[in-house]
Amino acid sequence: MAKPRVAVFKFASCDGCQLSVLDCEDELLAIADVLDIVYFPEATSTMLKGPYDIGFVEGSITTHHDAERIQQVRRQCGVLVTIGACATAGGIQALRNWADVNDYVRTVYAHPDYIQTLKMSTPIAEHVPVDYELRGCPISKRDLLEFISATLAGRKPNIPTESVCIQCKRCGNVCVLVARGLPCMGPVTQTGCGALCPRYGRACYGCFGPSETANTGALTRQFRSLGLTDDEIARAFRTFNAWSWQFRQASEEAERA
Amino acid sequence: MARRSITLDPISRIEGHAKITLHLNEEGRVENAMFHVTQFRGFERFCEGRPFSELPSLMARICGICPVSHLIASAKACDELLGVGIPETAANLRRILNLAQLVQSHALSFFHLSSPDFLLGMDADPATRNIFGMAASRPQLARDGVKLRQFGQQIIEWMAGKRIHPAWVVAGGVASPLAAEARDQILAAVPEAMAIALRTLEWFKASLAGFSEEIRTFGNFPTLFMGLVDSEGGLEHYDGVLRVTDASGRVLHDGFDPRKYADYIGEAVEKFSYLKSPYYKPAGYPDGIYRVGPLARLNVVDQCGTPRAAQEWAEFKALSRGSVLSSFYYHYARLIEIVHAIEAIERLLGHPGILDKRVRAAAAPNNTEGIGVSEAPRGTIIHHYRIDEHGLCRGANLIIATGHNNLAMNRSVLQAAKHFVDGNHLREGMLNRVEAVIRAYDPCLSCSTHASGRLALRIQLLDAGGAVVDELRR
Repeated sequence: MAKPRVAVFKFASCDGCQLSVLDCEDELLAIADVLDIVYFPEATSTMLKGPYDIGFVEGSITTHHDAERIQQVRRQCGVLVTIGACATAGGIQALRNWADVNDYVRTVYAHPDYIQTLKMSTPIAEHVPVDYELRGCPISKRDLLEFISATLAGRKPNIPTESVCIQCKRCGNVCVLVARGLPCMGPVTQTGCGALCPRYGRACYGCFGPSETANTGALTRQFRSLGLTDDEIARAFRTFNAWSWQFRQASEEAERA
Repeated sequence: MARRSITLDPISRIEGHAKITLHLNEEGRVENAMFHVTQFRGFERFCEGRPFSELPSLMARICGICPVSHLIASAKACDELLGVGIPETAANLRRILNLAQLVQSHALSFFHLSSPDFLLGMDADPATRNIFGMAASRPQLARDGVKLRQFGQQIIEWMAGKRIHPAWVVAGGVASPLAAEARDQILAAVPEAMAIALRTLEWFKASLAGFSEEIRTFGNFPTLFMGLVDSEGGLEHYDGVLRVTDASGRVLHDGFDPRKYADYIGEAVEKFSYLKSPYYKPAGYPDGIYRVGPLARLNVVDQCGTPRAAQEWAEFKALSRGSVLSSFYYHYARLIEIVHAIEAIERLLGHPGILDKRVRAAAAPNNTEGIGVSEAPRGTIIHHYRIDEHGLCRGANLIIATGHNNLAMNRSVLQAAKHFVDGNHLREGMLNRVEAVIRAYDPCLSCSTHASGRLALRIQLLDAGGAVVDELRR
């Protein structure tokens, strides 16, 4: 098999997910052996033209220009993989989707008229078909390496979609929700972080987005019984994956309540 | 010939998205240059209405390269909201984390992003002028770069659980004490990291002679410099006061309280950039143009604090009778700071109380306003929050390292473009030099606009009617 041609594209984001590629230190040079990284502006000045076998896309769509660019990117990529919360769910900047974006721009910028921005920050899948998504804020190196090796071997990536709770049990963590009454997002959040926050005695705050068949209604009731206000519940669902439909629905329901 | 302009978009091997427009005169010589930053994300606003305790984790998302710097400035602002002094051990653990990040970020800038220019040459084929090309031609150096960055990232992971956006630094201190095992792992990694840092520094110093033209023209002009110093005027990245010096090395202000930043830093508005252009108020605009980051820090301090870095610093200072002015030396300063950071990490870990279990002060908010400062790899950052009586954020102002350097970067691009670019005969190497000026500052545009995005690099020559006369693609 010829080396797959790989491209890494960036939209509105913090760069953390593509840096996770460079964070594969011990594996980095091995990755360069099996993949032909032909477009990666963060790390290289070469920007070879497509088509590409695999395109990794970081970031959300926030400008007209990017909305057009993602169409071109899609046409050039055999397999399109979104990496991280911005690309899969609109990212933290999607919090502006509930506000007046012009108000935002005026607060921050010297020349608001220079900013040509869309009202919403939206995930890649709202614009083009996506073949695979890697979750997290940022993505986990393990998931990335698993995706690459599975693709090279022609098998389906083995990336679990269950909730953080399952991982917490495996780690032997004491449940912070039950035992300490903390508003933990673990029951509705996809695993992948190694249940990091509960390991440190903190409530999960949802970096990996909704798990498969997330029961947000049950968690909302649980939060209420802990004494959280509707505003607090809405905020718990509104972080890095606020625009995923499951969390969006849950936060808007809490707001309406 | 009609007036034309050249646009470089995006600039590669920097973090975030920016473009450069070069305006040519009738003779095809560069008349003006503008460095633009495009896009925005809006952190100052969407933090409104969030509980202050969430701010460190939210603000870390500004940037995936220096999340720890934002985490620390944010947590320090929250400490002020609480109105508490945090345990000494917690402060020292935060310092170690911040220094570890300095090492990984500087290593990324030097090895992964800029060293291909030094090693393979500014005119080398862009297809191999990158970290992967280096892995083929200079495997030892590429490995060193990967290893040194790993040293920093690994410390962050061992201490804080994950490398990017860790949630360990919190209002009042840190979430958990340092394990003896983590301390020993870090200490065991120190000798190799130090060996790499020193041999890279030796190699870079020896190769400086080959870059005299770049040193002369990469942002080589007088400005002020600003950075944190400790109570003895030493190099400091976590706390202290802000010192401002001028091009001759004279101290203009020997340390103002970062909380009073608004009295000293003004923000001018220029037509060409989304970014505001900060300046030192007492000197006025535009004379108050200043630089921050590694070069500025080494210019403002009286000493480096750790023995090996002190030797290197003395040699560095001898480059000039006053301040070291060329922005090409940012690279040099970065390597000296890596040496300092490794020494300082080792020293802090030797502190007898470093494993102490008391690492967090508990309190309800006692103040409605809090300001936190830290030296990020790229320079001073300030987080300023206001909260209401329920502890919810009601306003945030963020002053970011790359923003401070905005004016200096613009002037540097113009200087290099005037020297290297001939608009009548575009060559790749000319344009790479213009980009390399920006890379010397290692700007983080995710931070500065809290935004970013990217395109294939295209340089276009446009005539006055906007028609494409010539085009270069990468």
